[in-house]
Amino acid sequence: MSVQIPVRRTTERQVSSPYQRRMYMRRRLTSMFHMTMAHLVTALGIAMLAWILWSLFGEGLSAVSLKLFTEMTPPPGSDGGLLNAIVGSLMMVGIATVLGIPIGLLVGTYLAEYGRYAKISAVVRFINDILLSAPSILIGLFVYELVVVPMGHFSGYAGAIALAVIALPVVVRTSEDMLLLVPDSLREAAAALGIPRWRVILQVSYRAAGPGLLTGALLAVARISGETAPLLFTSLNNQFWSANLNHPMANLPVVIFNFAMSPYEDWRALAWAGALLITLAVLGLTIAARILLAAKSRMKG
Amino acid sequence: MSTFQALSDDILAHAPIAEPTPVKLSVRDLDFYYGKNKTLNSISLDFHDRSVTALIGPSGCGKSTLLRTLNRIYSLYPNQTATGEILLDGENILASGKDLNNLRARVGMVFQKPTPFPMSIYENIAFAVRMYEKLSKSEMDERVEWGLRKVALWDEVKDKLHASGNGLSGGQQQRLCIARSVVLNPEVLLLDEPASALDPISTMKIEELISELRADYTIIIVTHNMQQAARTSDYTAFMYLGDLVEISPTRELFTNPREARTRDYITGRFG
Repeated sequence: MSVQIPVRRTTERQVSSPYQRRMYMRRRLTSMFHMTMAHLVTALGIAMLAWILWSLFGEGLSAVSLKLFTEMTPPPGSDGGLLNAIVGSLMMVGIATVLGIPIGLLVGTYLAEYGRYAKISAVVRFINDILLSAPSILIGLFVYELVVVPMGHFSGYAGAIALAVIALPVVVRTSEDMLLLVPDSLREAAAALGIPRWRVILQVSYRAAGPGLLTGALLAVARISGETAPLLFTSLNNQFWSANLNHPMANLPVVIFNFAMSPYEDWRALAWAGALLITLAVLGLTIAARILLAAKSRMKG
Repeated sequence: MSTFQALSDDILAHAPIAEPTPVKLSVRDLDFYYGKNKTLNSISLDFHDRSVTALIGPSGCGKSTLLRTLNRIYSLYPNQTATGEILLDGENILASGKDLNNLRARVGMVFQKPTPFPMSIYENIAFAVRMYEKLSKSEMDERVEWGLRKVALWDEVKDKLHASGNGLSGGQQQRLCIARSVVLNPEVLLLDEPASALDPISTMKIEELISELRADYTIIIVTHNMQQAARTSDYTAFMYLGDLVEISPTRELFTNPREARTRDYITGRFG
């Protein structure tokens, strides 16, 4: 996480005039000042992160037990786990992934390959950037109006759709960027063999950008697995076991949200455990993405 | 000693062609535009069948641009346009509605930087063949071997056909790229400075290869290196600032150029 700033040792130089010596001292002081500030701020950022992780692991680990994965969310005062929430989260994130990633990849492909110079691409990019930075609660409201109101009830489908809408712009952006990294010389070489455009994309561009595309998809999954706000309006929550996507569905973020604010000690412990689970899952995905990206840069070098 | 003298007899490898072969590719009044910027001015010249024509000239003279019109690879970019006529066996390839993929299978191209696809050596060659022919596994194996032998790469890679093409040296990659074009049985082969990114030994191999391929294809090669043009080509065209200054049999162009600008360039007075 920390950035190692290479410190170049200033060699003793022959400084001739007193003026030059004064200027040199001044530059050294300025440099030392900025370097110190940069280190301090970096340390502050890392300390914050460490603090969060420290309390998360401290509180969360003590609540982790086998029951977490075998029992449902309990009513206050009794024993229980997070099984329904874990399964609900996995199902909704899974469906959102299946919906959002292919569409995002297709849009990214259009922007980078077919429509690179088209006017509409500039519009799509602009809208995508807005979507990328839209507050997620707004997307929850949007899907509420679009799916929940016509259906008449909250449902796992609505939750999955909301998550897919959040994943979409992330995938569009990363897949366009990754495809643009594929040198045009490769596309030209394939076109010069008389290979049709769609095949060039499938077999040359996608292959060359493969690890990058996968990284983008993983980052999108990591992003949506912690989203709470859009689920509040869509899948809501479910205290009981339910794998029916047509019903309200339990999920980790909303359970954490509800339990963490409750006055009950065991609910708060479960909230910590849930937070720890999500963090570990996202961490795992991010590390996987990093490894894939490193493999990509090795391949290029 | 000037380049002019240095290039005389010892370097000019080919004997002059006794009888010109028929015209394969004929360029008529070709103008080319990058956006509104005109980069080729009314170019007209002929490329003969089973011969090597070198395009020389200083950077920015339009030699690569001319090459890129011959298989219409420029059509990948919407702001590039060409007007005039380019006749391949009498048929205008600039005409609209032309099947570009079919054209590019007939007119192969190899680029300055080796561009192996991110797949195995075998697949690099089989990939394009599959577009045009339905071959059995053993037929495909034969075709791949034939292509690799044609570019004298077979012995170097026969034990690692399924390793990535990226693992080869630059010179090997470039020969792989030539093999990839040759297995499609093109009629014309365009080479855009194919050896400029390579070391002298790889360059020599590529040049030997050009001399061999000359027997079967119409070859057009863009090069910065005048010795290379002299060594490998039958005809040389000198271009300058988007104009075709002169095209002559190579020996003639290097020993007795018609134009003063050609003389100045090949003797190193500018460029």
